[in-house]
Amino acid sequence: MQATIEVRSLHKRYGSTVAVDDLSFTVSPGQVTGFVGPNGAGKSTTMRMILGLDAPDRGTALVGGRPYRALRHPLHQVGALLDAAAVHPGRRARDHLLWLAHSHGMPARRVDEVIEQVGLAPAARRRAGGFSLGMRQRLGIAGALLGDPPVLMFDEPVNGLDPEGIRWIRGLLRALAAEGRAVLVSSHLMSELEDTADHLVVIGRGRVVADTSVPELLAAASEDRVVLRTSKRSEAITVLANAGGTVAATGPNTLTVSGLPAERIVALLSEHRLPFSEVSPHRASLEEAYMELTRDAIEFGAGS
Amino acid sequence: MSGFWWLLRAEWTKLRSVRRWTLGLLAAVPLTLALSLLTGGGSGTDLNDHPEELGPIGPAGVPVTDNRNFVHQPMAGDGRITARVLTLTGEEGFSHEWAKTGIMLRESTEPGSRYAAMMVTPGHGVRLQADYTTDLAGSDSTGPRWLRLTRTGDTVTGYESADGVSWNRVGAVDLGDLPPTVEVGLFAASPGRLAVETSVGSSSTGSIPVRIIGTLDNVRVDSTQPQPTAQWQEDDTSKGFVQGPVGENGAANFTEADGVFTVAGSGDIGPYVPDDDVTQLSLIGVNLGLVAMVAIGVLFITSEYRRGMIRTTFAASPRRGRVLVAKATVLGVATFVVGLVASLLAFFVTQPILRSNGFGPPAYPVPSLADGPVLRAVVGAALFLTLVAVLSLGVGAILRRSGGAITAVVAAFIPLLILVGGLPLTAAQWVMRTTPAAGLSVLQTIDVDHDATAEPWSMAPPLAGLGVLAAYTAAALAVAVWLVRRRDA
Amino acid sequence: MIRAEWTKLRTVPSTAWLLVGAVAATVAASAIYADSINVSGCLSPAECPADTTKLSLGGVQFGQAVVAVLALLAVTNEYGTRMIRTTLLANPRRITVLLAKASVVTAAALIAGALGVVGSLLAGRFILDGSGYPLPSLADGPTLRAAAGSVLYLGLIALLSLGTGTIIRDTAGAVTAMMLLLYVAPFALALVSDPQLRERLHRFGPTTAGQAIQATTDLGQLPIAPWAGLGVLAGYTAAALLIGAVLFTVRDA
Repeated sequence: MQATIEVRSLHKRYGSTVAVDDLSFTVSPGQVTGFVGPNGAGKSTTMRMILGLDAPDRGTALVGGRPYRALRHPLHQVGALLDAAAVHPGRRARDHLLWLAHSHGMPARRVDEVIEQVGLAPAARRRAGGFSLGMRQRLGIAGALLGDPPVLMFDEPVNGLDPEGIRWIRGLLRALAAEGRAVLVSSHLMSELEDTADHLVVIGRGRVVADTSVPELLAAASEDRVVLRTSKRSEAITVLANAGGTVAATGPNTLTVSGLPAERIVALLSEHRLPFSEVSPHRASLEEAYMELTRDAIEFGAGS
Repeated sequence: MSGFWWLLRAEWTKLRSVRRWTLGLLAAVPLTLALSLLTGGGSGTDLNDHPEELGPIGPAGVPVTDNRNFVHQPMAGDGRITARVLTLTGEEGFSHEWAKTGIMLRESTEPGSRYAAMMVTPGHGVRLQADYTTDLAGSDSTGPRWLRLTRTGDTVTGYESADGVSWNRVGAVDLGDLPPTVEVGLFAASPGRLAVETSVGSSSTGSIPVRIIGTLDNVRVDSTQPQPTAQWQEDDTSKGFVQGPVGENGAANFTEADGVFTVAGSGDIGPYVPDDDVTQLSLIGVNLGLVAMVAIGVLFITSEYRRGMIRTTFAASPRRGRVLVAKATVLGVATFVVGLVASLLAFFVTQPILRSNGFGPPAYPVPSLADGPVLRAVVGAALFLTLVAVLSLGVGAILRRSGGAITAVVAAFIPLLILVGGLPLTAAQWVMRTTPAAGLSVLQTIDVDHDATAEPWSMAPPLAGLGVLAAYTAAALAVAVWLVRRRDA
Repeated sequence: MIRAEWTKLRTVPSTAWLLVGAVAATVAASAIYADSINVSGCLSPAECPADTTKLSLGGVQFGQAVVAVLALLAVTNEYGTRMIRTTLLANPRRITVLLAKASVVTAAALIAGALGVVGSLLAGRFILDGSGYPLPSLADGPTLRAAAGSVLYLGLIALLSLGTGTIIRDTAGAVTAMMLLLYVAPFALALVSDPQLRERLHRFGPTTAGQAIQATTDLGQLPIAPWAGLGVLAGYTAAALLIGAVLFTVRDA
């Protein structure tokens, strides 16, 4: 089966609220696709529709070219982590994975393999009610990996993990994508996805706001800015402004210049014998790019 | 179908891996036992101390009912008795569908002795009855009818005819060791009619005696050997009316005029139906055991909704109907096993207690699992618990909230039964025949007249009552499957 | 604090439904009980004595289940949604929290009870009119006592349920426990014939004793006196509340 997720014109409303509005995107194999948007943007709803849990009002969501509910052995084709807390507290972690395995005729051996893979082996025989948030996330991830599926979907997997855990997840996601799987990861924080995602689908208010690769997104947001450190700030400002650049003082000795390429800035400063210690292109962070994009789409803003 | 087998394994793993559920399910056993013991310990009878109320012991060694007016003469050797039944009327217009008049051949006049009888009944036509338990149907005729009983050795054959010339054989019975001389004659008997006494808040039923009057003519006794005497004697064991030659209102119970015999009698000839069903009493604890079944049945599905695990389940198995059926199957098997343990324990542990409280032989034979109705009751009790569990699963899937579902299902049993006790009889019957509580009828082992009892759990036939519960269970599951498929997870 | 609990209670839609349900169940069941006189073939009070007031109030047997569910939800819902932590953050004095809940729940139960009792008596009067039996009337001393006692009865049931909910904390478990507490004794009464056992059940069962308050005739024959019966129920309630309070204070949230 082709490891892809295709969403076409998906539309869903709850009562009078439109949760997902004419949404279309594709998740391809071999890369990690980040699904980003502010809280309430419709990420979880979309994921549930892909998994056949909620029915869309219009549109289709296909996994490997087929609707989820038509899949014979879904866990072998799609592994999903939707909500880490969805475990019965009175049940042992291993038993939770065991019933999942049994539902697809998988042996107990497989359960132990994934437990090992997510690092839960010491806690496997404990009841899930006593698990910390991080342990529950790992349990959920183990469930997603159980069927060794070519398509993986994780809803906010990094929530509640400590830095070591976050690093582990990033490595895991990249490794899974490197194996040729299609990996969809949702988050409301862009920083989490910074070094992980290759492709981004940005969603706001139920609509796709951007659907690009990460470098493109960054480039679009970078806006050709240059950061300059110099002790002769005011002189530098005058010189650069006269040359046509827009200069902003962003620190005691730092200027951010836009509108002029770095070489030109160096030439100008040298011409006027102004000392400088650093000229570097300002790399927009994913965070800034994201903020820019979703500024209008934030539903629950703080009113800034 | 390997997919469904996997589903079963998955659901079984789910059920057995939550310790609270296992304990809750097992709690059905002590709950059932407790109520059965409480009832058994708190019930008693002294019927065995009053043999006169008990009745005679019949050929099979168990009590029988033998109340009738038997007008007879001896017959030596093989022979036959013939008579034509003219009319069968009830005094004061009260009759009964099983009122009977006709001819009878008896081992002796001893109450409980062996007999065969050909008779006409208002509600069931012509019958051949023998030895208090055998009942064979003849024609539907309730009008004038010729009847004949022929004795050959130990076998008695019954015939009927419309004209006295061409005879139809109704059947033959083997009465075992009949003495050379038997008593043959005419008889009349009728069961009493139902009287419901309601004091407010409870109903009880009793029986008002019915006096039935039969007229017969063309009475002949033919035998191969000479008759000891042709004198008619009256042996009246009627119950409820003055016995002997002069009956109520001064009317005689037996007269003969110009070859027309008039015999009047009341009572019934047949098996002894005790007031209390000992097996049913011992199993009554399922009313409490079902609470555990309801709780677990509901939780098995609502806990998935409460925690959101239902999404994991439906993502792993998008064919949601099958998931529900797998749950029902696993739950059903588990609850049946537990239910059977509960039912067997209640049955065996309560028996000695009931016996020591007076529910023993001869009035109450010791129930044995080898006996069909008893086995049906014990297994039926387990089935009852199973059906309640699966019903709860269905209701839980529909309502998705544990509190409401548990209350709803429990309310259909224990509180409802309390309410039924205060209802008028027809309303109580309606409730006990059309609501899930009808399933309790399966606990009966005695064949009672379901219209004539005040006990809620005897108002419907055993298997029919269980069938009603099964229908509710199936309906709840069907609605649940339909809803679960359509709703968002 | 009480205002907070009152707000919690009234802003949950199920509360309204449950209150209406309690009143409806009580009146409907009472009507059925009262009607049983008409259908029983009892021709006159002399022939077939009946306590019409007790009959007309019989519906509390069923309204009590709904009241119980309402009361225990006030506690178990908070545990279920983990909101109990927020509540205890707003007010760490746990006894105060429990008292506030108890007040609000009891008030709701008493209101529902009053409506149910009045409705039941009216239904009883309506149904029994012309039957030859005395119509229940609040002007009559014993009837007034029975009616007021029934309202108190429902209040006590609510508190008993609140206590049970605090002890068990889990909705399913608490509902199951309350069903057992409310209905096992009356049910067993219908089954056993031994007089000694029956008397014990009448005197020591929480609901069987409590409902003695509804009797207005043959008071000398009762297994337990009206107010004493209500006292037995109060005893159970106090025990449940006490244990619940202790556990509530001591246990982790």
